[in-house]
Amino acid sequence: MTHSLHREGKIESLEKDYAVFIYPARGYNYKGSAPKVRRLVEIVYQVGPANMIATTLRKNLYSGVEPEAVLDSIKEGCRVFTVFNSRDKIRDLLKNLKEADQGISIVVSGLIDRVRDIAAEVGINPHTINLSLGIHGGTEKLPPADIRQFTTMCGHAMISPKLVQDVIRRVKTGKVDSWKGSMILANPCACGIYNPHRSQEMLEDLSPLYTVSRW
Amino acid sequence: MIVYKEVCVGCGRCQPYCPAGAIFYEDHKSAIDQEACYECGTCLRSEICPVGAIVEPPHVYEYPRALRKYFSDPTSTHAVTGIQGRGTEESKTNDVTLRCPPGSVGVAIEIGRPTLGMGLRDIQKITRALAQSGEYEIEPNNPIHSMILNPETGDLKPELLDEKVLSAIIEMQFEKERLPGILQTIKKVIPQLDSVFTLDVVTMLDEGLSIPQDILDVIKSEGFMWRPNAKINLGLGRVTE
Repeated sequence: MTHSLHREGKIESLEKDYAVFIYPARGYNYKGSAPKVRRLVEIVYQVGPANMIATTLRKNLYSGVEPEAVLDSIKEGCRVFTVFNSRDKIRDLLKNLKEADQGISIVVSGLIDRVRDIAAEVGINPHTINLSLGIHGGTEKLPPADIRQFTTMCGHAMISPKLVQDVIRRVKTGKVDSWKGSMILANPCACGIYNPHRSQEMLEDLSPLYTVSRW
Repeated sequence: MIVYKEVCVGCGRCQPYCPAGAIFYEDHKSAIDQEACYECGTCLRSEICPVGAIVEPPHVYEYPRALRKYFSDPTSTHAVTGIQGRGTEESKTNDVTLRCPPGSVGVAIEIGRPTLGMGLRDIQKITRALAQSGEYEIEPNNPIHSMILNPETGDLKPELLDEKVLSAIIEMQFEKERLPGILQTIKKVIPQLDSVFTLDVVTMLDEGLSIPQDILDVIKSEGFMWRPNAKINLGLGRVTE
């Protein structure tokens, strides 16, 4: 399971961040799902995802896999996780996915109010919601919130807080630009929903504020 | 994971990649603290080592250390559930499975998230609290179900207690009238925990993405609040088998 409902950050940043999951269910619509999922992924490509992964490959678009390889890898039961970086794109995607009517479960993770508006706009009546009631326990041990807004973009917590700090340092010192830094952060994400466009904006916001002790 | 010291050139590039912070310098070479390592495989998958010194040794798959792998590496398939990752399919396929049907609620306690990880002794604190409250109904397909020694006490199998995982998810599903009791139990166990957990509530929606008001009222009255983002199943799935 991905952790997308717990993504952190400013509302204006989360407004440019929608994770989408294409999910055949074992025992319900698993058999014969491969061509349907492939059709849905073609639609995803037409709209232009910010990132994507197929569970058959487990490499995202920034860890060395070509879009054709994703399509070729899709087989029975394959699930696809992807992310989009604008409201217009997610609206176009949902409209096209609805029209394609492949009968495979599709989940959107994002701001509830925005998804509600978009669903109404394209004539979709959502079925189930998974609400986040936040983080509890020893929260004082967590990395700071400005680092968590990066690390929580990988649903499986594969982006290390130290890597985020390292990349901020490298951007700050001019060793990499914000896009290259963002791709470095996207690389370890094994669930394909790390949004490098959002990450780039956050790096540009944060790097001027950081002081570095090691150049 | 381990680093072959004979091969490592001591560049240190791998060290920031470790979510557990388990890679350190020892004699000018990188080494991995086996106690801290969750076996998530990020260091290997990132292909950051210029000389291929990071390897996955066979003991990673030996019980009970294998639990670290199953619960921490999203690319591994759990031996019990057959599902990649640490939970089940929860709300993602509810439009076809109706695992959380009308009148019921799902609760997921995502232990160790975000980032910190958690020892299995902390997980036992939660399973014991749920068992003592009479609210113990962890889903049979949930990986944690197979770790329980005694459902009446919530005790985990003793050989597992010294293991650590990046995260694990306790998932429960019950009639919505029991939501206040579950949330009260969870609230009581919070001060006992060393690590963190995130809390999810799953419910079917009313027309037009309206969240049932009675569910929101219970969440508020028990001292919790929902965040502005959520995972939303669009209801486009169909049963074809």
